Amino acid sequence: MTSDRETPVTADPGEGPAGMAAVKIPDRVPPQILTQQSLGQYFRAWLVRIRTGNSGVLPVVLAIVIVAVVFEIITPEHAFLRPSNLVYIFAESTVFMVLAIAETPVLLLAEVDLSTGAVALIGGVIAFKMVQVDPGPNWPWWLAILAALAVCGAIGALQGALISLMRIPSFVVTLAGFLLFSGILIVILGGADSTVSLNNSVPNQNFIYEMVQGNIAPVAAWIILVVVVLGVGAAMWLRTSARRRQGLVAEPLSLTAIKIALVAIVGTAMVVVCTVNRGSALRSVEGVPWVIPIVLVLLGVWTVVLQRTRFGRYIYAIGGNPEAARRAGVSLPAIRIWSFALSSATAALGGILLGSYFYGEYSTNTYDPGQLVLYSIAAAVIGGVSLFGGRGKAIHGVLGGLLIGGIAYGVSLLSLGSLSTPLEYILPGGVLLAAVLIDVSSRRGAGSSTGV
Amino acid sequence: MTADPGDNLGGTAGAATADLTLDAKVAAADIPAELVAQTLGQYVRASWLRVRGGDSGVLPVILGLVVVAVGFQIANSKFLSAQNLVNLFEQSTVYMLLAMAEIFALLLGEIDLSVGLVMGLGSVVVAELVQPSGANWPWWAAIIATLLACAAVGAIQGTMVARLRMPSFIVTLGGLLILEGVAIIVLGGSLVGIGNSQFGNENALYDIFWGTFNPVVGWILMAAVVGGAGAGLWLREASKRRHGLETAPRSLTVLKIILMAVAGIALVGISNVNRAHFGTIEGVPFIIPIVLVVLGACTLLLQRTRFGRYVYAIGGNPEAARRAGVSLPAIRTWAFVLAALISGIAGILFASWQVSLTTNIIKASNSYVLLAVAAAVIGGTSLFGGRGKTIHGVLGGLVIGGIYNGLYLLSVSSQWIDVVVASVLLAAALIDVLSRRGARA
Repeated sequence: MTSDRETPVTADPGEGPAGMAAVKIPDRVPPQILTQQSLGQYFRAWLVRIRTGNSGVLPVVLAIVIVAVVFEIITPEHAFLRPSNLVYIFAESTVFMVLAIAETPVLLLAEVDLSTGAVALIGGVIAFKMVQVDPGPNWPWWLAILAALAVCGAIGALQGALISLMRIPSFVVTLAGFLLFSGILIVILGGADSTVSLNNSVPNQNFIYEMVQGNIAPVAAWIILVVVVLGVGAAMWLRTSARRRQGLVAEPLSLTAIKIALVAIVGTAMVVVCTVNRGSALRSVEGVPWVIPIVLVLLGVWTVVLQRTRFGRYIYAIGGNPEAARRAGVSLPAIRIWSFALSSATAALGGILLGSYFYGEYSTNTYDPGQLVLYSIAAAVIGGVSLFGGRGKAIHGVLGGLLIGGIAYGVSLLSLGSLSTPLEYILPGGVLLAAVLIDVSSRRGAGSSTGV
Repeated sequence: MTADPGDNLGGTAGAATADLTLDAKVAAADIPAELVAQTLGQYVRASWLRVRGGDSGVLPVILGLVVVAVGFQIANSKFLSAQNLVNLFEQSTVYMLLAMAEIFALLLGEIDLSVGLVMGLGSVVVAELVQPSGANWPWWAAIIATLLACAAVGAIQGTMVARLRMPSFIVTLGGLLILEGVAIIVLGGSLVGIGNSQFGNENALYDIFWGTFNPVVGWILMAAVVGGAGAGLWLREASKRRHGLETAPRSLTVLKIILMAVAGIALVGISNVNRAHFGTIEGVPFIIPIVLVVLGACTLLLQRTRFGRYVYAIGGNPEAARRAGVSLPAIRTWAFVLAALISGIAGILFASWQVSLTTNIIKASNSYVLLAVAAAVIGGTSLFGGRGKTIHGVLGGLVIGGIYNGLYLLSVSSQWIDVVVASVLLAAALIDVLSRRGARA
């Protein structure tokens, strides 16, 4: 039988332990929960899921492909998909990806966090302030980052407590939080015209500076790639075969092989793209930016937290039906407070990366916190996180962030003059509306298929 | 049956009140106090019961206004000067209008995040349309076109919310991004201004915010408005009484009329003080009657029409409203149209206030939505739908305007102003939540 800690891979994470691993499979079992599937069956099950509204990453991947093809065609000299530009697109998308991941657990709870942008900027400024020397506390970089994450985590916990214990709507609490922390941000920064910047000749400060700006040397990147692909591949393979042995719902082995091959191909392509010199002939810039493994690790951590831990399952349970979760013994306040805290801590990391992206300098004009939060919510929703709670994964935030960053970068390549600024607003807005329309109509599809 | 605006129909109990009040004890035991209130004292007791029951109405925000006024007056004696009060009111008008717009969405239990940028778009459209080098429309045609354009934006967003059932939060979030882009496109270059007094149309727009009535005209208008409103109130109460419906005591009506007269006299008196450092600036600003007309129209619409009752019904319980035969999509769509229309009025004021508009001002107009929501909630509109009146938006807008103005007088930097506004918003939301709990208990 199904153990308590296992969730059927193919079923919606929100549905929880289904315990359906019957040895004898009746004819009426939907194809998506067959235990021993062939590749063809798996593919058919996947189609069923899409038709019933569980389209997952498909829409956003399609959108990314469309955006890439369209911009490749319309940019001057077809520059969009050049290796150098691909790296820049990733760097530009970083903050959207990280903040969209931060927004995801909150959206999964069917809440919203409007303070993410302001909290992220506060996190960035705290980290930057803490590594300053003369005057400055000159903390080691890791302590400064930890301090930023801790402070922002505390902010998130505070807001989460107001939301879950006082039952003030998250919308209002975080709206007030947005105003509050936008003000406090400027206070921490030291006034309206202040800046705080990293001196990259100081090794301790340079470490934070390099988080987005620095690159891993090509040789090291190749070695890391091989290690990561082998590690991830082995883990995937072992996990699938273990499930298979225990008679649990498992994907076909051929699919696991395809997935591992895909990881290897994508990884190789990424390293190849990043290893092309994107500087000048005189001063070469090459290698994988540090920010790529940083984002991948963050993605991995949040994926494990959401998909493989009890905490993650409770988040989906609350998002799906809070009352049912409460009656099942889930402590709603604890899960909600922890979600807001971890979300804000993740946002702080996004803020640090944002400062590094802007060449290690923070000023009051670095980014409008209101704009930032709108973009991060948009990125999560475009990526496929449902606004109604209970549906979405960390990978959706990453893909949504990539789409928004890609659009912004593509528009900037077009040199449209006065039209480029408005397009940077109109395109994400339009994509967001389209994404929600898909979300709403796919929910209807899901509803009708189960007869609800 | 606490007197929510939605259940104004409770006339049936009124016929019996005459008998029941003969025995005060019986009345107190069986019938909610506000239905039997015949004397002023009973009425006051009844309102106190309502406040305790969680229906605090405008009481918290009026207390808030008093705190703001007293606090800032102690900190800076200029705060309550005639000059500053007019300033304060002028600055608050945009918050007031946007809060009134937001209330239409909030009453339904929805949210409109785009009111700030609908205002921004409206301001650019109206300014562009009167440019002598451009469209060169007469000012009134430009205003009508602007209002129509804004209403159309509301109709599109409302349709997405009401017919496609997309969450209003996201529709208006995507909407504001698109509007921001559209407004920048309409702006075209980097700047459009209406400050050139050579052109009559630009001048007319400029005067909407900056123009004032001649002091004598101000007095006459005030007398006419107070007389008209007072007569209307008196006749209404009298006719209700004749029909044996539930009414406030006569003394209360007289008190209300006197209060209106006092407020009107104070307003005109304060506005007629010369507030210029050089030369003369005096008289009631045009925007004061504009805001009052919008307030009056929205109040009538929400409290006295079928549409208004349906809005409250949907906000209270959409499913119940639907089963009672209310067309949810139609009411919801119209509410969003009205919200956008009022934001458009705010946009015209905004253009007149700013005089010249730039891309940065358009971007900044976005931040007004947060203040609009804050003003509505601070004023006493519930975030959960079904409770609130347009007057709450005006009072909440005045609180926010007062905080901004007062802290600015004390030369507090803008970041601390944000912190204060945020704290006030949190406090207001907490009161809202707690009073809802009180109401249920």
